[in-house]
Amino acid sequence: MSLIDRLFSVDRRWIFLFVMLAVAVPILFPLGLPVTTTGSTRAAFEYIESLHAGDIVWLSYDYGPSSAPENDPMAEAFLRHCFVKDVRVVMCALYPLGGLSLMNASAARVAREFPEKKYGTDYVNLGYKDGPEAVMRRLGENIADAFPTDVNGTPIEGMPIFQGIRTIGQFKVVFTVATGLIGEYWITLVNAQFGTPVIIGPTAVSAPKYYAFLNSGQLKGMLGGMKGAAEYEQLLARAYPAMSEFYHRTRLFTGTKGMDAQTGIHAVIVGFIFLGNVAFLLARRREGRA
Amino acid sequence: MELFGTWIAALLTLAVLSFLYKDNPFFRFAESLFAGVSLGYYVGITLDQTLKPNLFEPLRANFNLNWDLAIAGLLGAFLYMRYVPRIGWVARYGLAIYVAYYIGVEFTRKINGEVLPQMARTILPVRGFDFGGVGAFFTSPAMLALCAIVGTYSVLVYFFFSKEQNAVTRPIARLGVWFLMISFGAAFGFTVMGRVALLIGRLNFLIYNWISPTFGG
Repeated sequence: MSLIDRLFSVDRRWIFLFVMLAVAVPILFPLGLPVTTTGSTRAAFEYIESLHAGDIVWLSYDYGPSSAPENDPMAEAFLRHCFVKDVRVVMCALYPLGGLSLMNASAARVAREFPEKKYGTDYVNLGYKDGPEAVMRRLGENIADAFPTDVNGTPIEGMPIFQGIRTIGQFKVVFTVATGLIGEYWITLVNAQFGTPVIIGPTAVSAPKYYAFLNSGQLKGMLGGMKGAAEYEQLLARAYPAMSEFYHRTRLFTGTKGMDAQTGIHAVIVGFIFLGNVAFLLARRREGRA
Repeated sequence: MELFGTWIAALLTLAVLSFLYKDNPFFRFAESLFAGVSLGYYVGITLDQTLKPNLFEPLRANFNLNWDLAIAGLLGAFLYMRYVPRIGWVARYGLAIYVAYYIGVEFTRKINGEVLPQMARTILPVRGFDFGGVGAFFTSPAMLALCAIVGTYSVLVYFFFSKEQNAVTRPIARLGVWFLMISFGAAFGFTVMGRVALLIGRLNFLIYNWISPTFGG
């Protein structure tokens, strides 16, 4: 059997094993490779930096456990950024399968890091609502119509955080951490109809389509996949020494920690694509000779 | 209790990953369990987080003020009448209003939120060439605008199927294919990153949340 025939008949489980090792080794032995930042993430970071203490923003958990390794670090970095800047945060979940549980866990994790932040004054968790488009339409008229209570069943009217706030149009920005279509709804419905600026943190699979919205000015910024999350963490760590120390010592999973494995696996995949193409070209040349 | 949950999550993760070797009963068990739990979770949170605070509670607290919600609730209930063949026709009314609402919302959303802003961004003035070097020239605003215009129109020509392509449109369509291929390549790159991120998350969980605390190290 020639080398080309061997390459074509490799059991694909060997490739799975290579992929598994390329991911596991950098997780076990982190290299700490540098993460460069891109314009779309810097734009998102700088927009939040331009906000003032007391401003109010909306954070929507529009993803489920299937994309949590990409989206969790984004949502948590954004939340930390808001908390260090004393920006008030209203949270909700519009993704049905697991969005609520992820939000509860993520909000609780970050709130523990900032014990001085008061629930109902500095941040609030509005829970989950079904039917994202209908919910967004109602947010443009009256938030309490869509979310009469928070996640625990407490009426939101009377909460200090909602004093003088009635509609989504009064928020400085919506940050949607999204998988699937819900992120797009925030842009094409809330931004287009109520004028609220939107920043998106999509999964890497969805990121290419959002570049069109970014270029048209419908988005203030974008964190594309795990790389975007890692970039945001780097920017946060550079701007705030407390955050730098936190990201240095935390045992939690972060986007930055995942980037070593991303680099390793990409090298392996590029190698496999190169090998596949060489085998294909050699086989075609052999067929041409025959 | 937390350790018990971690063990269940770890064993289910291994059961799902075992499919990479070959199909087996552990994988099929995990798959069926996931489908069942997902459905139960969805029903549970919709009842607790949407129907209870937005429909049942307002109706119970003040029916006179919130009676209109009963109409929406009734229309929703109509959808399930299709399971009662004798009055199955009632479901059509609920469905008709549901479809009409979403056509209205979607139509405005697509035109106002997507088509018009994207079209406006494609009609650009080709101004601002930078002749200060090769890199500066190819990244100058005018070149980027030119690239967006040529890319958009050549792809549109490729997807224009109403007339057979001729000597003029064929090379333009071919250029459109190149633009499409580049965008597919970018999408593939992002897809690899996205899928690998999920594997990183699972392996990180297995190593640091399961193996390390359970077996030490």
